[in-house]
Amino acid sequence: MEAIIQIKNLCKTYSNGTEALKGISLEIQSGQFFALLGPNGAGKSTLVKIITTLISKDSGEFYIQGSNTETNSLKIQKIIGVASQENEIDPAETVENLMVFQGRLFGMSKKEAIERAGWLIEAFGLTNVKSQKAGILSGGNKRRLHCALALVHNPKILFLDEPTVGMDPVARSEFWKIIKGLNIKGVTVFLTTQYLEEVDKHASAMSLISEGQILYSGTISNFKTMVNGGNNSSLEESYLQYLEIISKQ
Amino acid sequence: MKIENLLLIQRGVLKLIKQPSAPLMGFGMSLFFLLVYNAGIGGIGSMEVFGKGGYLSFVFPIVIISLAMGSSAGAGQTLNADMQSGYFRRLYLSPVPRWILVASPIIADTLSSLFFTIILITIGAVSGVVFQFGIFSVFGVLLLSLLWALTLCSFSAGIMLRTGQHQTAAIITNSVFPLLFLSTTFLPRELITAEWLLYASWGNPVTYILEGNRYLLGGTSTAGFFYTGLLILSFATICSLSFALASAKKIKI
Repeated sequence: MEAIIQIKNLCKTYSNGTEALKGISLEIQSGQFFALLGPNGAGKSTLVKIITTLISKDSGEFYIQGSNTETNSLKIQKIIGVASQENEIDPAETVENLMVFQGRLFGMSKKEAIERAGWLIEAFGLTNVKSQKAGILSGGNKRRLHCALALVHNPKILFLDEPTVGMDPVARSEFWKIIKGLNIKGVTVFLTTQYLEEVDKHASAMSLISEGQILYSGTISNFKTMVNGGNNSSLEESYLQYLEIISKQ
Repeated sequence: MKIENLLLIQRGVLKLIKQPSAPLMGFGMSLFFLLVYNAGIGGIGSMEVFGKGGYLSFVFPIVIISLAMGSSAGAGQTLNADMQSGYFRRLYLSPVPRWILVASPIIADTLSSLFFTIILITIGAVSGVVFQFGIFSVFGVLLLSLLWALTLCSFSAGIMLRTGQHQTAAIITNSVFPLLFLSTTFLPRELITAEWLLYASWGNPVTYILEGNRYLLGGTSTAGFFYTGLLILSFATICSLSFALASAKKIKI
């Protein structure tokens, strides 16, 4: 497997003096289901925002599929899909129009965009509300639409930042089925979440970030072994135990 | 132009059609001015100083200028709505140049302003406004309107992007409004008696836009005013567009 995301010594300090990232280095392999874990304020969202070209870094380098993000941001935006923490939907537009428009913005023909939107609307269980304005959808449906929009252009890398917040269990299960299906087809998934059971169930590799530094990078099974010697514990138990150990040091 | 850029401009236009409060407010204000000024002071139109076009042709440029002033907040409001809903971030992540995200609502707003200018010109022509160079006068008035609308919309969008508050999009209207009255708005220079107002009108860029329009309409002004007005507006357009596009970098995502 080749590295699809390469990050070297990435640093970011906000204008208020908060040092969000302190020399992060990370490699994510193509087709991997990767999870970035860490407590609130650890630097997860900052890292995702930099990788997805939303904000700029102070120093360091990072490449997506070999392309430098500073010189090739448009190329990178074409291959990534982002579903961030907050919903990013135009409340005045209908579900169908938003999906088609998103596809068109990514260079799809009208026919392609309509077909792709139709498939995603069905896959995400939005068929009954496709003609409704996004602003009047239920919280769960807004979240489904938000995630579906990130997939319209068939991204090679999918960034999911707390994607299932606000979804009911059925929607959550359906959502993971779609994401797993995409991952099996070769889409790299970069997930940040506080629902560790979802990570345990779906991801294969993880990194743990705290106070802007990577504390662990590797497989989930190795992490569990490292923390409690291979006992059959959940990721959540291992994670909490590890944070406790770190806080005592 | 790339299809994605055109789609964003089309979206901006559709937004204005669906939420037409800003352009309609500008249009309403212009119509009101046209009716009230002509009805209230139109009687002095027979004076020689107003030329063959009468008072209606003399006062018509105010109507055109106030249109863009009343509707210039539209671009800022569209941008603000997208930022509030988070949709701007999604657009920001699309593979389109980021300048077009700011430019598209400005262009849409300017197009809307031009559309309503054409309606006003039609109303004016039917009501008896004189266009001394025929169709060339119409094009000249449209050119001045285009640059004026572009200037105001860009400033309004730039200010909103920097402050993040939609209320500030109207700042430009409020600051330009007094300039309308420090000019040869209601009477030609020859009839203005207060010396301070005469001096103020010389330094007021709005005067050159007004008089430039008057040259094209009733011919009560000289070509020099038209060219000076064109120059001032071209410079102002470049400054305000640069300001708006530079403001895009200040957006907090």
